[in-house]
Amino acid sequence: MTPVIELRNVTKAFGSGTARPNAVLEQINLSIEGHEFASIVGPSGCGKSTLLRIMMGLTTPTDGEVYYRGKPVKDVVEGMAMVFQTFALFPWLTVLQNIEIGLQGRKISDDAKRKRSLKLVEIMGLEGFEEAYPRELSGGMKQRVGLARALVSDPEVLLMDEPFSSLDPLTATHLREEVLDLWLNPEVSPGSVVMVTHNVEEAVYMADRIIVLTHRPGTIIKEVHIDLPRPRNPRSPELYRVVDEITGMIA
Amino acid sequence: MSQMIGLLEVLEDFNGRVDVAKVADDLLLELDDLLPAVDAAELLGFLKVTSGDLILTDEGKRFLSRGSSGRKKMLNRILSKTPIFKFVITFIKQHEEAETTKDDVIDFIRREMPDLEAETTFRWLVEWGRYALLLRYDSNSGKIKVVQPTTAQPTAPQEGKPQ
Repeated sequence: MTPVIELRNVTKAFGSGTARPNAVLEQINLSIEGHEFASIVGPSGCGKSTLLRIMMGLTTPTDGEVYYRGKPVKDVVEGMAMVFQTFALFPWLTVLQNIEIGLQGRKISDDAKRKRSLKLVEIMGLEGFEEAYPRELSGGMKQRVGLARALVSDPEVLLMDEPFSSLDPLTATHLREEVLDLWLNPEVSPGSVVMVTHNVEEAVYMADRIIVLTHRPGTIIKEVHIDLPRPRNPRSPELYRVVDEITGMIA
Repeated sequence: MSQMIGLLEVLEDFNGRVDVAKVADDLLLELDDLLPAVDAAELLGFLKVTSGDLILTDEGKRFLSRGSSGRKKMLNRILSKTPIFKFVITFIKQHEEAETTKDDVIDFIRREMPDLEAETTFRWLVEWGRYALLLRYDSNSGKIKVVQPTTAQPTAPQEGKPQ
């Protein structure tokens, strides 16, 4: 089966004209399969976010190829949507309008856009907040809007860049649970999720497979399959064993 | 809101009972940072605090087992019985179409509940009131409105325009 995303020998370097360009990622070979929750972990500055941007077509690699469903990625991929650490909401738009932005450019009627956006309002538990502005929302609610905006376009792949890092620990606990529920919810389920995080526990708790990157320039040192049954207990000794193993690779 | 639900989920992970200091330690939080969520959950009857232990109540378990619309319904029922919501909703309902302004509500809180910090209380009422579909607030116009039960339950047969 063709992987959903495939990266072959991807290298990314910033700055040109120098003898040794500033490499961020080096020789990345990676596939993301359908219905998979993959997580990319690594120390800060290992190019994790850049890798995500390359997958989506927001950044072009310096070298190597990127494929989406077997076709070379040349532009921003329509079947993917991104959730950001800092939410990236428009402060002058309401919750509902921010969600509708996720459908911008889609060839469907305004009515259909509104209907689909309201569906996401319902799924994300944002009823009652339709007319609120981002400044009136807690971090947790803001990231719900970020998720709704990403999922409104019914993406095949949901990319998440440190989605829980700017939330307090209790809110993060809650939203991790919600994201796992969404992933298993056939009504919205993006086939695959790729989550970048520096939090190893979070990755082990949520993912089927963890891709471990080294420090700059980022290269893949290991792929770990997590076959712990779901739902997982974030405090189980089995889970901690895997956490320790992966933390050991990064440190 | 999200913090409180997060706290209940952590409690569930600990099989419904755990020392509050252990929760703080586990989440790398100061005890003080946990307290707003503990207070909120206790006020709603979702947890009990006994000699330093947090205990998830049956009501709390029920809340966790529901999806987001079920949670909203539960909170709608519980919050509408709390004195502060009762008080404020009754006040707003005295106005035409059960709608008034933020300034009006703030004045009311200052006058009737002088112990509370009015702006903070208003923000709290709006956040929880929106979540539980009890209140609607438009920060552009400053209008705040009580959600009528008929609009909160779209299950009723829809024939013609609602009056």
